[in-house]
Amino acid sequence: MKVLTIAWNNVHRALRDRTGLFFLVALPLLLVFVVGAAFGGAGTPVVGVAGDAGVLRDDPAVRVRAFADEPSLRAAVEHGEVGAGLLRTGTGAPLLLVRSDQAGQQVRLLVTSALTREANRLSAAGFVAAHAGTDQATALSAVDSTRVEPVEVRTSTTGTALFPENFSGFDLGAANQLLVFTFLNSLTTAAALVEARTLGVTRRMLATPTPAWAVVAGEALGRVAIALLQGLIVLAGSALLFGVRWGDPVGAGALLCAFALVSGAAGLVLGAACRTQQQITGLGILLGLGLAAFGGCMVPLEFFSPTLRTAAFATPHGWANDGFDVLTRQGGDLFSIAPNLAVLLGFAVVLFGLGAWWLRRAMTR
Amino acid sequence: MTVLSCSGLRRRFGDVLAVDDVSFTIGEGETYGLLGPNGAGKTTTISMITGVLERDAGEVVVAGVPMSTRTVAAKRLVGYVPQELALYPDLTGRENLRFFASLHGAARSRVEHVLGVVGLADRADDLAREYSGGMKRRLNVAIGLLHEPKLLVLDEPTAGVDPQSRNQIIENVRTLAAGGMAVLYTTHYMEEAERLCDRVGVIDSGRLVAEGTRRELVERLGERDRISLQLEGDLARAAAVAGAVPSVHGVSAHGHGLELVVDDAREALPAVLSAISTGGAVVRAAEFDEPNLETVFLHLTGKALRE
Ligand SMILES: Nc1ncnc2c1ncn2[C@@H]1O[C@H](COP(=O)(O)OP(=O)(O)OP(=O)(O)O)[C@@H](O)[C@H]1O
Ligand SMILES: [Mg+2]
Repeated sequence: MKVLTIAWNNVHRALRDRTGLFFLVALPLLLVFVVGAAFGGAGTPVVGVAGDAGVLRDDPAVRVRAFADEPSLRAAVEHGEVGAGLLRTGTGAPLLLVRSDQAGQQVRLLVTSALTREANRLSAAGFVAAHAGTDQATALSAVDSTRVEPVEVRTSTTGTALFPENFSGFDLGAANQLLVFTFLNSLTTAAALVEARTLGVTRRMLATPTPAWAVVAGEALGRVAIALLQGLIVLAGSALLFGVRWGDPVGAGALLCAFALVSGAAGLVLGAACRTQQQITGLGILLGLGLAAFGGCMVPLEFFSPTLRTAAFATPHGWANDGFDVLTRQGGDLFSIAPNLAVLLGFAVVLFGLGAWWLRRAMTR
Repeated sequence: MTVLSCSGLRRRFGDVLAVDDVSFTIGEGETYGLLGPNGAGKTTTISMITGVLERDAGEVVVAGVPMSTRTVAAKRLVGYVPQELALYPDLTGRENLRFFASLHGAARSRVEHVLGVVGLADRADDLAREYSGGMKRRLNVAIGLLHEPKLLVLDEPTAGVDPQSRNQIIENVRTLAAGGMAVLYTTHYMEEAERLCDRVGVIDSGRLVAEGTRRELVERLGERDRISLQLEGDLARAAAVAGAVPSVHGVSAHGHGLELVVDDAREALPAVLSAISTGGAVVRAAEFDEPNLETVFLHLTGKALRE
């Protein structure tokens, strides 16, 4: 009972802190949005057109931006302002300007397929006009009114694709933000533990008929509850606001709980070890961002060298990141992330043991 | 009945022997003042008595129940008001009290009761951070009263507060002691100790150097009360009759006055006055000089209580 009282007191105070809440809730969601928008999410490719855009104007897959002449179009393509440029002036064949990067190739495909479709339409209309003796306009409308059952093509990726189809930029950012902020906030809000000791309230709790283990357990549970609450808010918030897919809900929930346990326990250790709030803030930011970077929250693990990849799996972030990867990209479930969960729980147990021992010592020594 | 008995308390921090062989007892309804300069070891002693600090040696027993950092039984009997403001500044007064009430297992109704006792009922829902210094001190005291302890331990409960809050706290403690509570009180204010404490212990550099009532301490130092009188009439005769009063130990005359050395100025005064008027002289003015704890303190520790 007293354990719950102390834990709730921690949560209650965290919720009351307005600036704290900003970092706890608003900032991670904001970053999910920003990162998501930067990496795609809202991206419809833009095609610059000098001359008649023709059929591209009505194509939902691209957006058209008009340019006056070739030089300005060429500059825009070179600067990456548009994905590609279509030059359709004079009498010659249309010219498509693209960069050699991935986005350029993607737009090239879109534009050529749109133009091919249009060419097919026109040639079909020509055929109808020639054989039925109607004029071109009637023939075109006849072609348009013909419904062709599309040839069914199913796409699947073979080999190990980095990102599966439908994997949006929002999905990419969200898992990383979740881990970065759950851990980071857990460390920095552990300043409350130091504050409680410097204020003397920890001693005062010990002067009540509350065993020291209950005080330690209450503080530890409070840390975990705050981490879990924050994780849940980012998880649910990003799913509801930006449509982020987290994969198997049971797996994602379990992974979040395990990571919240690790975060809470790490907060407990830091809160017991530090003597001043400045130490906590400094060390917390250093460890929070450092471990996140090593664990692949800043740069995806795929881009790591083999050595760095091994180092990544020395951090809880690495294991959690890998777990979310399995859930979101490979369609994994609770069973397939069991190793990740086990390692994270191991981290949590060790950190809890250390933190409890340390805090207990710091309280009555 | 003895409520607190501690014996042979010792605690070392690195090279500093903060408390060295401290022993004393406090009875029911008794208020005991622990006086000493900064760093004397008062807080360390109190922390061991309340079971929030490990001790190197010694015993603490509260109403027959042994106290340690690991027991909870004895802690039910003790109310602790720490020297620092041990409150959550981001909680309201009432929320602070409710939190500690649930740790003490005290009823919710006690929260409202102690709010009334310390005069914070109308500010109970303000954040503790927004309280004045005196109000914070009163809340600090209130938390120690939640569970109606047998022993109330207050570590400088009036440090840095306005006279009004100070009076309120002192009156609270008096009332509680009158109701049978044993009180252990430390302070830097001599007047406070004299007003409040039945007995005092003087601690210096970790050792209890003297203990007793104010009078006992004063006498041990060879200090005595003095009465100064301004007279009209026969000074020599007045000196003779006054010197004959049993509790008067010495008389000296100067100008229009007499100076008497007595055991207890307040007790001796009526007998002295009636003897002098019988002797035919008229007393124009009378003045006491009672050596106070400040004097005792200076004598014992060579330091002023407040530095
Ligand atoms: N946690 C600690 N670590 C190291 N030294 C300590 C610690 N607590 C107290 N001391 C030392 O023990 C001695 C006694 O300190 P204590 O706080 O008991 O004094 P005090 O009588 O309460 O003083 P004050 O009137 O200033 O409150 C001091 O020399 C102090 O520096
Ligand atoms: Mg002190």
